[in-house]
Order: sequence, then structure tokens, then C-alpha cells
Amino acid sequence: MASAEKKTSNQSFESDAAALFSNISASLPGATWLQPLRSEAMKRFACEGLPHKRVEWWKYTDLRSKIVEGLGVAGVQPLNTVRLYDTLKSHRIRIDGALVKSKPIQADLPDGLEILSLAETVEMPSLWLRPWLQPSSSAIENLNLAFAADGFLIRVGANVRVETPILVHSLLSQQNVMAHTRSIVLLEKGAELTLIEVDYGTAADQSFSTANTVILLEQGSRLRHLRISAREGKNHLVRSDKIDLARDASYEGVIATAGATLVRQQQTVRLSGRSASFNVAAAYAPGLDQHTDYSFEVAHAAPQTTSRILVKGVATANGRGVVQGRVVVEPDAQQSDSHQMARGLILTAGAEIDQRPELEIYADDVKCGHGATIGSLDVNQLFYLQSRGIPEAVAREILISAFITEITQRLPDVLRADVDTWLTSHMEKIGGVQ
Amino acid sequence: MSFLEIRDLHATIGGKKILQGLTLSIGEGEVHAVMGPNGSGKSTLSYVLSGKAGYEVTSGSMMFRGQDLATMKAEERAAAGVFLAMQYPVEIPGVTTINFLRAALNSQAKLRGEPEIQAVTFLKRFKEEREKLSMSDEMVKRPVNVGFSGGEKKRNEVLQMAMLKPRLAILDETDSGLDIDALKLVAGGVNALRATDRSFLIITHYQRLLDYIPPDRVHVLAAGRIVKSGGPELALELEAHGYDDIVTAA
Repeated sequence: MASAEKKTSNQSFESDAAALFSNISASLPGATWLQPLRSEAMKRFACEGLPHKRVEWWKYTDLRSKIVEGLGVAGVQPLNTVRLYDTLKSHRIRIDGALVKSKPIQADLPDGLEILSLAETVEMPSLWLRPWLQPSSSAIENLNLAFAADGFLIRVGANVRVETPILVHSLLSQQNVMAHTRSIVLLEKGAELTLIEVDYGTAADQSFSTANTVILLEQGSRLRHLRISAREGKNHLVRSDKIDLARDASYEGVIATAGATLVRQQQTVRLSGRSASFNVAAAYAPGLDQHTDYSFEVAHAAPQTTSRILVKGVATANGRGVVQGRVVVEPDAQQSDSHQMARGLILTAGAEIDQRPELEIYADDVKCGHGATIGSLDVNQLFYLQSRGIPEAVAREILISAFITEITQRLPDVLRADVDTWLTSHMEKIGGVQ
Repeated sequence: MSFLEIRDLHATIGGKKILQGLTLSIGEGEVHAVMGPNGSGKSTLSYVLSGKAGYEVTSGSMMFRGQDLATMKAEERAAAGVFLAMQYPVEIPGVTTINFLRAALNSQAKLRGEPEIQAVTFLKRFKEEREKLSMSDEMVKRPVNVGFSGGEKKRNEVLQMAMLKPRLAILDETDSGLDIDALKLVAGGVNALRATDRSFLIITHYQRLLDYIPPDRVHVLAAGRIVKSGGPELALELEAHGYDDIVTAA
């Protein structure tokens, strides 16, 4: 692979990726049905290219200027030691870059829970998967489909309540590589599941990953989804979730992001059944040379549907936070209830937070609200703490942690302390505390 | 050596002169009241003494037990024994009163080079003090002052004062916004803390609070200076005749 330094003006990430694809496409997993879909996706991606700032949905996160060419694809790597939540009792999946490293032992799984590897499944003429592996109009989705080397498929049978959480450790231990995964989570009627995803691993040199997850929640099913994106160093990660909720289905998510050069988490949600409910709380904390983005699109397509989105971020040094969201209430979605709130805390003059909440309402009997605030630490609160003898640095730490608590308190007890510690140590590292 | 010795103090905020030659001396164990009309510099005095950012001492001195307060950070003044009960206690969402107080006590101990307070000792003392002020367990487990009424906020200030045991307690309009029952409760809390090694500076608009916390000395603050000092009878005189005569005469 050509390194970034050797690039010439007519090279680009897109032409590099196209060349790479023609070299390795034969070795990518998938039976004959998948190959034409991958080729078509690659063709579309090469034509459109990486999302950039003139694409409205990517206005504040200009991938084209962030990703350099010359990346290879991730290969098989030995397992690294897992840091976070190693003690948590769970069903485990491990991904390093492209590959599910250790398949869960099926014998350990309760009846009604199925966990499969995408790479293995697509070797068969799988019909039910096919709708989720189609080229689309999204450049990132197309890039992901072209290269997707693996991912997990989780299926919970009707009325099965999985007590033990499924924990997915996602590591990228190599550098100067791309890694693309595609996963599907299907909860059948009345099923319940807790899914915990932890992204980690550090990179001294650039890496670029995309992870696309389709989440299908059938009638009355309930997913608790916790995602901790704790990659460090020069990792660039774009996570895209497509979530569809049938009647009475519910999604409760907590998403925390800090540590990497660039992380974008985007969720596209469709409340397609009556009384479905989507509730997410997201926290982010960009520091020096870091960029985090939480973007969402929520469509209320059925009556009496509910959405709640709360995003809180702390930016310091020259860190940049982006919260971009749109809620659309379609004509049929009468008596729907939606509220989105974004709050940003800027700790230093060089930090930046861009928040853009949008609301489009096409029904006349709905309850909708949105709000956005950005501020710095309150000097009166700081003085109050100091006047009781708490040194300024500690007082700042207390106030920052209190700001984020509204998100982390939604985590189950077993995780909360770990996440608090991780966020606090991250804040210390990026200088938020001082 | 005086306990608190303020000499010819000048202070500004945002370039605006507020304190203009204030001189005041408080002995150990004494209770002094500072009264004055709106805009005379009463709250500024409390902030300057406790070290709020933005208030600048331009000349003069304020010595507290031999230490120059002007050179100390707010937290160092607190550790040295200065406490300010605020006129408008701020709300701190996400931090419970009990955790806040524990952090405050331990921070002060650390700054003074003392060992941290034992958890059991802390909880025992905390329970005693909050019960004296009729504060429920539920109240102190809520975030600091969030959803508190005016009276509850002032009680919380007195609770903090009782736990932190300052040497100099400054009460900035602690009576404002209190009904008579809340006033009695708060005053009772303050009186319980009167001690030979603890002094009080009570800043107030009205004589009412002084009925419940009798002062040793009363001072009138006008245009940033103490213009008259006297015994408790001065407060009654002010209540009867208002500030105009004294301020004009000065």
C-alpha cells in the first residue's frame, strides 16, 4: 500500500478503495449471490465518494478531509486482552477488525437465542439476509457492504427473554487498515434482550472502520442497547444503526463516546408500529484533535409512537462535538410524542460543539418538543464548591461528572462505576479537569 | 493580633468601585451585624472576604488570624475557616448534598494536612446536624438545593456551616425570603453554633434577624464604607428611622 506521504494528486481514498476491492473481492466471504451486490455497492461508492461537508447530513463531519488513502484491509489478529467489563457475566462475541474471533459456544446459549457469524452465514444461499445486504443510496453503507468481512447475527425467538446480556467486544488492533462489519439483531415478537457493545483498542497510525447494524424489533419486543465507544488514538469509526420498531416494541439505548480521533454514531429509526417507543441517551467527550458526532433520524410512522433523545457532550482543547438530529412525524402518526434535547458543555475557548435539532410534523394531534443548550461551567456553581473548601480542579471535575450523570445513571449498576471511571480518566487525559 | 482586621479596603468588580475604604475589626467569638441600604456593598463585602472570582481588591488589607485573605484562593480561605452562607445558594444538579459535604470536609482536611474524616463519624455527625434543622434524609440525598424552597436552601446553608465548623461565618442576607417559622429555625441553628472561638458577620437589610441572633456590634455600610458603628441599639434606631439620616450625616 502507498503511504500517505507518497500520495500524488490524482490518488484518492475512493480510487484506492476501488483498486483494493478488485484485488481482494474474490477472497471476501459470500456465496455467488453476494458478489454482484458487493460489486454494485463498490461501483456506487466509487462514484459518490466519501461523505463530505457539502452533503447536508455530513455538514459538520467532513469524512473526505479526514480519511487518508493508502489503507489496507484488516487481517486476522491474535486476541488482545479485554479491559472493560471483563468480569461481567455475559454471552460474548469478539471482533478484531473484520473477524469474529471466538464464536460463542452455542451449547451455552439458552434455547431461543441464536448467534451466528455473518461471514459463515453468507456462504450459504441465505434468503432472509438478502434484503439487508443491498446496495443503497448511502455512500457509507455501500462502502461497508462492498468490504464487509464479518459481523454478528443475533436472533431471539418469540417471547424469549434472554436474561444474560450479550457482550460484543470490538477491537481494531491493526493500523493503516480499514475494517467493515455488518450485523443484524432480530428480536421476534415479545422477545427481550440486553446488548452491550464495547469498542476499544488504540492506534498510533490511522485506521478506519465502519460498523453497520440493522436492528429489527418485532411486535412487543424490547431491546436494551448499551454502546461504549472507547477507541483511542488515530481510530476513525463510523457506526450506523438502522432500527425498525413494530407495534409496542421498545428500544432503550445508552451511547457513550470518547477517546478516538473521529467517531460518528448515526441512528436511523423508524417507528413503524403503533405505540412503539424509542428512547436514547448519548454522551460524548472530545478532547485534543478529537471529533465526535451523534446524528439521528427518527421517523414516527404510526400513531401513538414515542421518541426521547437526550444528548450531552463535553468538549475541551480543540475538540469538536456534533449533534445533528431530525424527527419526522408522518401524517398517520397521530398522538405521537417526541422530545429531543441536546446539551453541550464547552470547557476551553478552542473547543466547538455544533448542535442542530430539527423537527418536521405532518400530523395535527401530536406532542413534540426540541431544545438545545450550550454553555461553559457555571462560575457560581464553581464558587459555591470552592467556598466550601473544594479546590477548583476538583470542583470542575465534580461539575463535569454531574453534567454527564444524567446519561450514565441510565446504565445498570454493574456497568455504571466502570463507565464513570472511564469517562473521568478520559476527561483527565484530555485536560477537561484542569 | 486581631481575629479579623479589615483596613481601608477598596474593591472593584468589572472596574466598578464598590468598596471604598472599608475598615472593620471583629474579635474572636464576637457577632457583628452589617446593615445598609441596597447597593451599599454588603454582598460585595461577603464575596471579597470569601474569594469569589471577578472581585478585585485594589488597595487596603483583610487579615484573618494573621493571614492575608487577599492572597488566598477561595478553597484556602474555606480551609482556614471562612464560611459564607449565601444569599442565593446555587443549585447543583447531579451532586447530592451528602456527597458534596463529604467532599468539602475531606478537601478542607487535606488542605490543612489533617486526615480525612471517617465515614462512620461523618454519617453520625451528619445525621445529628440535619435532624437539628428538621431536614429529612430524603432531602440530603437529593442534588444540592435542586427543587428546594427558599427556606430549605437557607437551612441547607446552616447545615453546611454546622458540618464545616468555620471560625468565621459570614451570613449574607440569610433572612431574605424566609417566613417567621423558617427564620426561627435558621436562627436557632446559628445560635447553636455561637462559640468563643467562632465569630459571625451577619449581613442584613432588616433588624428582624437580629431579634433572634443578638449581635455584639452593629455597623452601617453606605457607599462602600462603614459610616457608623454601635451596639445592638443601633439596629433598633435604623429600624425606626431608616438609613437616610445616618447616611446623609456621614
